[in-house]
Amino acid sequence: MADTRNKQGSGKARAIYASKERQDEWMQAIADRLGRPRITEMPQHPFRGAPDFWRAYDLQQEERINLFMNNWTNLGGHAFRMSSMEEVGRFLLDFVRETGAQKLLMQRQPELMGLGLAEALHDVECTVWDSSAEEMIDEAAQADIGVVVVDHAAAYTGTIVVLSSPDKGRSTSLLPRALVAVVPASAIEASLGPILKGLDARPKDQLPAGVHFITGPSRSSDIENDLTIGVHGPGIVYALVVG
Amino acid sequence: MAETAGSSVKARSKQALQDDFLRKAVKFTTERLKNGKRKATEEHGNWEEWRERGRQIRLHTIAHLDYYLNLFADNARKAGAQVYFARDAAEAAVITREIVREKQARSVVKSKSMVTEELHINHVLEEMDVAAIETDLGEYIIQLAHEPPSHIIIPAIHKNKQQIAEVLSEVAGERLEPDTQVLAGFVRRKLREQFLAAEIGMTGCNFAIAETGSIVIFENEGNARMCSTLPKTQITFMGMERIIPSFEDLEVMATLLPRSATGQKLTAYMSAITGPRRTADGDGPEELHIIIIDNGRSRQLGDPDFQELLNCIRCGACLNVCPVYRHIGGHSYGSVYSGPIGAVLTPALMEDPSEWQDIAYASSLCGACWEACPVKIPLHDMLVYLRNRKVESGTTPTAEQVMFKGFNYMMSDHRRLERFLRLGKVGQKFVARDGYIRIKGPLKGWTNYRDLPEIPKQSFRDRWKELQVEIAQQPRPKTMIQDIEQRMRKVLEERSKGGGSGGGHQE
Amino acid sequence: MYPRVGEAMVRILARYGVQLDFPKVQTCCGQPAFNSGYWDDARASARTLLEAFDDSDFVIAPSGSCTGMIHHYYPKLFENDPAMLDKAVRLKEKTYEFSQFLVNVLGVEDVGATFPHKVTYHPSCHGTRLLGIKDEPMKLLQHVRGLELVPLPDAELCCGFGGTFAVKMSDISGAMVSEKVHNVESTGAEVLVGIDMGCLMNISGNIHAEGKPIRVMHLAELLNEGVSS
Repeated sequence: MADTRNKQGSGKARAIYASKERQDEWMQAIADRLGRPRITEMPQHPFRGAPDFWRAYDLQQEERINLFMNNWTNLGGHAFRMSSMEEVGRFLLDFVRETGAQKLLMQRQPELMGLGLAEALHDVECTVWDSSAEEMIDEAAQADIGVVVVDHAAAYTGTIVVLSSPDKGRSTSLLPRALVAVVPASAIEASLGPILKGLDARPKDQLPAGVHFITGPSRSSDIENDLTIGVHGPGIVYALVVG
Repeated sequence: MAETAGSSVKARSKQALQDDFLRKAVKFTTERLKNGKRKATEEHGNWEEWRERGRQIRLHTIAHLDYYLNLFADNARKAGAQVYFARDAAEAAVITREIVREKQARSVVKSKSMVTEELHINHVLEEMDVAAIETDLGEYIIQLAHEPPSHIIIPAIHKNKQQIAEVLSEVAGERLEPDTQVLAGFVRRKLREQFLAAEIGMTGCNFAIAETGSIVIFENEGNARMCSTLPKTQITFMGMERIIPSFEDLEVMATLLPRSATGQKLTAYMSAITGPRRTADGDGPEELHIIIIDNGRSRQLGDPDFQELLNCIRCGACLNVCPVYRHIGGHSYGSVYSGPIGAVLTPALMEDPSEWQDIAYASSLCGACWEACPVKIPLHDMLVYLRNRKVESGTTPTAEQVMFKGFNYMMSDHRRLERFLRLGKVGQKFVARDGYIRIKGPLKGWTNYRDLPEIPKQSFRDRWKELQVEIAQQPRPKTMIQDIEQRMRKVLEERSKGGGSGGGHQE
Repeated sequence: MYPRVGEAMVRILARYGVQLDFPKVQTCCGQPAFNSGYWDDARASARTLLEAFDDSDFVIAPSGSCTGMIHHYYPKLFENDPAMLDKAVRLKEKTYEFSQFLVNVLGVEDVGATFPHKVTYHPSCHGTRLLGIKDEPMKLLQHVRGLELVPLPDAELCCGFGGTFAVKMSDISGAMVSEKVHNVESTGAEVLVGIDMGCLMNISGNIHAEGKPIRVMHLAELLNEGVSS
């Protein structure tokens, strides 16, 4: 059956499965199964989102910072509190020198560009994410350290959130062995709730292609339940809370 | 579905029960996961409220699935994704083959997806001479060992380090030490090459957000991120029921899923992917194909006994508490989905009750799965409903039908039961010793492991008359009785007002 | 099968002046047939209970599983028979498992028993999960003088009975009951007490076959023995 369809000339046989007709047919079939006419108006959803008691969950900024850092550390990450971006710059210089890293990849974010790392690190390749470049993924794959400024963080789960954009590659937080995440103190929410609600509130065409919630280092327990860190994503993860 | 022909759960489990390592490994891992879940839910608190909320969101979405699925498809398309609706494995294969051919793909990297297992997508790719590489560490291992997954969350739960080292050494062309770090390190290096070389990345989908057209993937290793970031083309397979309305609703699922699966507050990665890369982006797939799968799911819609099955969020918590899974492991079920959810889902996805053999009987109906389920699916009830449908279809063994006809005859009239008991007492004289029967007859299943109590010399119904006389003479504490009478009267009054629920759950 | 359990229950309840009756027309709640999918046959059996207890104020059973059957499944079993459904719902409203009736209706936690033995308790699945029995049996046991209650490891694990499951999937069931008995043994208890005759028949059958020196008792038996001695 499949083969006869494929033989229908050079046209895309799969188009029928992607057609509006097929979609309508499916939705009608669902409605029929459910024994009622098709619903085309947004239904009342009285249970949307977290229970009420959870919506009230909030923390003072200092509490958020502490909880976030605690959680991040418990997950096997490293967390430091820093007063300014200068301190972040000094940390990165030390980190690169101490680890002997050969290549560092940063997102094209003004906070990072202002650190002057490329100038300070003569013998280390310091790349800034450039979406117009051909081989950005290979660059990221070769980098020892990826540096990002996060868009959000959630204290309760110890999570950082990075949004993709032309200036912010998804690979930067994924391919290098070590990830250094700069976390502006003001970006830390008490829980995931406000961040997720923020995504709902964005105009649809402004939702980034990739929204990544990262909670500690890459991990696996697939071999005899032994926890191993860094199986595909970065195994070494730093969160530098600034402010 | 991958029901091994001619082989039953009973036969397969016999092997598993003799495999000492397997039983210990499964016990060890499920205990860890179960305790992790317990700790995480206690720490988080208000677990029952969260469960109830999760259940309500899933019930609401499925009850309005035509609206939400349609909205999802429209929004995913607006974001640039190509969306397909595939009724079954054959249709999914047609779509997959065509995309793979069009991209001239030679290798495909895959992150964990139960749906692609269900559809045998790897087989489709193999037939095309395209390498399908599983990239989840556990999935990679069992793929090399040519075995199916035996746990939803820990697919290689049945393999020990030594066995894994052997399998990986073969690929490495050198002897790898049976050390977790060494083995995982090898896989990281090996698969990194594959991620960078593959033309297509395939993923599953934990949730799909209707209002934004986003797909959401939970994972710990980062391999799903790789599959959805590096190859130029991404194909995502999703069951048609994976929908939730909004990101706000995702907060509830993100609370329930990782805690129930592994006891984590959140998995290391939760990725929300909306369409392919934006024009100016430097990475991410250029094309995103989303294949929405029915494959028997829609059959549960509108079926009051099974619709809730579509609420499942595939966390594996029911496997970890199941006393049967604990002893027989995943492969005994002979299906992609194992444990209590597999015992229900596998037959439920089939059209005809005669297609499945004994998988729905692989349960003592203890209800531990229901208690553990983060969205409260009554799996133990569904097993009984499945058995009932099998009976109604007339495909149960004749001997069993005869036995229950006998039960019917005997139990529909107490006089027949009494006569039977009298006969039994005579009959057992030859086989009973100190209160127990030990023959290997038709009940050998029972007597292989236990002795059977003999029918007592005097049954309760025979004794009742004299017992009544005896208890009339029993001393009673006079003062307490009044209290008690009052309490009983109060319960009766409440009941007459319609508030009584007997000794059951106060639901 | 276990007249001494019924008798013990009756004797305990009689101490509090509860007027008792045993309607002869009852046979079985129908669970074995129901769980195997033979609902017509289950209904034939269940009808005898609906008739037997039509006039009773309270129905008390020494089994969480049978009580669970009435509570959880009778309404489903008779959903297409309005007259019987009505009876089923009324039966459900008045049916109690023994320990629930004693503690929650009669308000009795101390029956005045003495039982100087080391005891462990197996919480039956249907009692806990279908009926929501949590600490009623514990409350009764904690008030027994001289009784040393030791916790059972992995107590919530099913013993492997499951009615026809024990015969149909006998190897799996056998592995389950062996683990249960192993856990009971590990506590060093002299007595295993429970609230469900199905589980207890299964566990004691294995204990007897293995020749282990552990006594298996229904809670009612233990309490009754404790007040009679």
